[in-house]
Amino acid sequence: MAKSIEQLMEVIDRIPDEPAKNGEFILPELMAIAVAHEVRNDDIVFAGTGLPMVGIMTANFTNAPKATLIYESGICDGKTMHVPMSVCDQRAANQSSTLGGLVDTFGYYLQQGYVTLGFLGGAAIDKYGGVNVTSIGDYYKPSHRFTGSGGNSDIGTMAKRTAFIILQEKRRFLERNDYTTTPGWWCWDHKTKEWKPKKEVWKGTPFADCGPTAVVTNMGVYRFDKDGIIYLETYHPGVTVEKIKEGCGFDLNVSMVKGETPRPTYRELFVLREFVDPELIFLPQKTDYPPAIQAIIDK
Amino acid sequence: MPRIRGESKTAEILTLEEAVKKYMKNGIQVAFSGFTGFNRNPVAFAWEAARQGIKDLHVIDRHGSCCTWLLNAVGAIKIYETDWMGWGEMAGKLDINLNRSYLQGKVILEDYSHGAMAMRFLAGAIGAPFIPYYAPLGSDLYDVKYDALGRAGLRTGKNPKIAKKKFIQMEEPFWGDGDVVLLPAAKPDLAVIHVAQAGDKGTAKWRGVGTIDKEISFACDKVVVIAEEIVPEAEMRKYPESNQIPYFTVDAIVECPWGAFPSSVPFYYDYDAPFMRAMDAASRNESDLKKWLDEWVFGPKNWEDFLVKLGSKRMLDLRADSVTGYSTRMMRGKKPAPRMKMALSVARSGY
Repeated sequence: MAKSIEQLMEVIDRIPDEPAKNGEFILPELMAIAVAHEVRNDDIVFAGTGLPMVGIMTANFTNAPKATLIYESGICDGKTMHVPMSVCDQRAANQSSTLGGLVDTFGYYLQQGYVTLGFLGGAAIDKYGGVNVTSIGDYYKPSHRFTGSGGNSDIGTMAKRTAFIILQEKRRFLERNDYTTTPGWWCWDHKTKEWKPKKEVWKGTPFADCGPTAVVTNMGVYRFDKDGIIYLETYHPGVTVEKIKEGCGFDLNVSMVKGETPRPTYRELFVLREFVDPELIFLPQKTDYPPAIQAIIDK
Repeated sequence: MPRIRGESKTAEILTLEEAVKKYMKNGIQVAFSGFTGFNRNPVAFAWEAARQGIKDLHVIDRHGSCCTWLLNAVGAIKIYETDWMGWGEMAGKLDINLNRSYLQGKVILEDYSHGAMAMRFLAGAIGAPFIPYYAPLGSDLYDVKYDALGRAGLRTGKNPKIAKKKFIQMEEPFWGDGDVVLLPAAKPDLAVIHVAQAGDKGTAKWRGVGTIDKEISFACDKVVVIAEEIVPEAEMRKYPESNQIPYFTVDAIVECPWGAFPSSVPFYYDYDAPFMRAMDAASRNESDLKKWLDEWVFGPKNWEDFLVKLGSKRMLDLRADSVTGYSTRMMRGKKPAPRMKMALSVARSGY
């Protein structure tokens, strides 16, 4: 007989917190856990729908139990039982501290400076961490149009740190974006028409030092150097540095690579699969545990 | 901008058909309540507007929803001032048909950001002509090249609902805190707000997230409230701190149970993700879309008939439970929702 969710809760600490082997997890799980690792225990996180949300919910069970999650529709520190499909889902509002609206989240929390980490998606990114979620080609006659900013440009410029999760392809990792929705460490100064460090464009504002600090893709994890230029930090298991350079539209700095992205641990996978997304809304499939782990769960 | 009024409004109770006929005129600027396609979209109102053949709308909203999806599907939108042309996140991110209309030049799209639109409605609500906001300096949102309404020759000052500039970037003049962007207030003709309950005098409330619905209600000239239920005004006065909209902003009240379907009304019913995925699938080509519209918009005799067509099984599955405010019976993903007594992260880690 299958265990109830409460019975499964009692198992968590008996599941080894050791890295799973390749083949025992799938890519979306690796990415969700890589997201979780970006979260610190004292973070106030402003997150978008999808893998960012799932990763941060996982972190609440593992490495960042006290991290606060803000959802842009007005939810402050929702404690969910069932994974939300949208940032306005009543599931996300469960057990929240306060419930307000966009003026609360973008004004009182974000522009007021409370948000320490933003976690966002993106369609394309430039080597300075500038993100495009608007259009490819001519803005007025785009070859491809995306949804547009949403909260991306607000959160990505006013949160202390921002991490992006992006599908990596050569046409999405660019020297310069066709349209910059969310400026990275270098951007246009529209008053002087010069391409400048963000610190100069935002000089004097409280947000001059806020910006992108990490990028998680399907191939690796990236950070930014002191000049605001992206570099590869770790490559995912099974992906080579050569392959990553091929999936990049500019000459990527790989001189500071630390090694392989930490593989998710059995305990992290257990939390993600059994408590965060058991309905398989974000995860495409249920993956079997190795027999030794399954035996601990069933015992 | 403040509207100095000599006399107060008196909210009248109308049917859905009457409210659309009286307030949803061709060419007006309109804003809808809720958030994306998932929460408190006044769908029945947009649906009835589509049936009455309303056209040339200027929709001004913080994002797409089931309402904009429907109105664009029947070609009713001419200008769309927004920050997110998606509509259903995990059930359909980009509005495929809106994208088609945009690429065909049928819709003028003006891009802002979420925070910017919230601030614009806040300015409209408090009667301020504009509002300063920091984000996002250096974004192409604030490059004059990308002012779509200006490019279309619509920022002449002739239309009282379209600001003469998309934005102004200026040095912050009081404290020396760098540059800041000034955004024009949003002050549309009509707000359509879907709520849980409205008193028969017009006081209204919802549960769950507020999005920017209170700001919209104050920013617009006319306000139509669509309520799951109209209750005696005395009922609304028991816990006044839980109400958001005072009666004197409201022009009309419509009682329309399940009027936000397929979006949710917390504590009444959940969103219908499979139904939204089917809408998304239908929008992928014009003939499927036409079939969908004929079946679901032009087919039913009225909204009640639409619900009858939906069927009791579906409505039973979507009915919210009284503790969580949502349904755990609806299949949203590939597996059913587990039964839970409390938030497990709290059980493990506390608050």
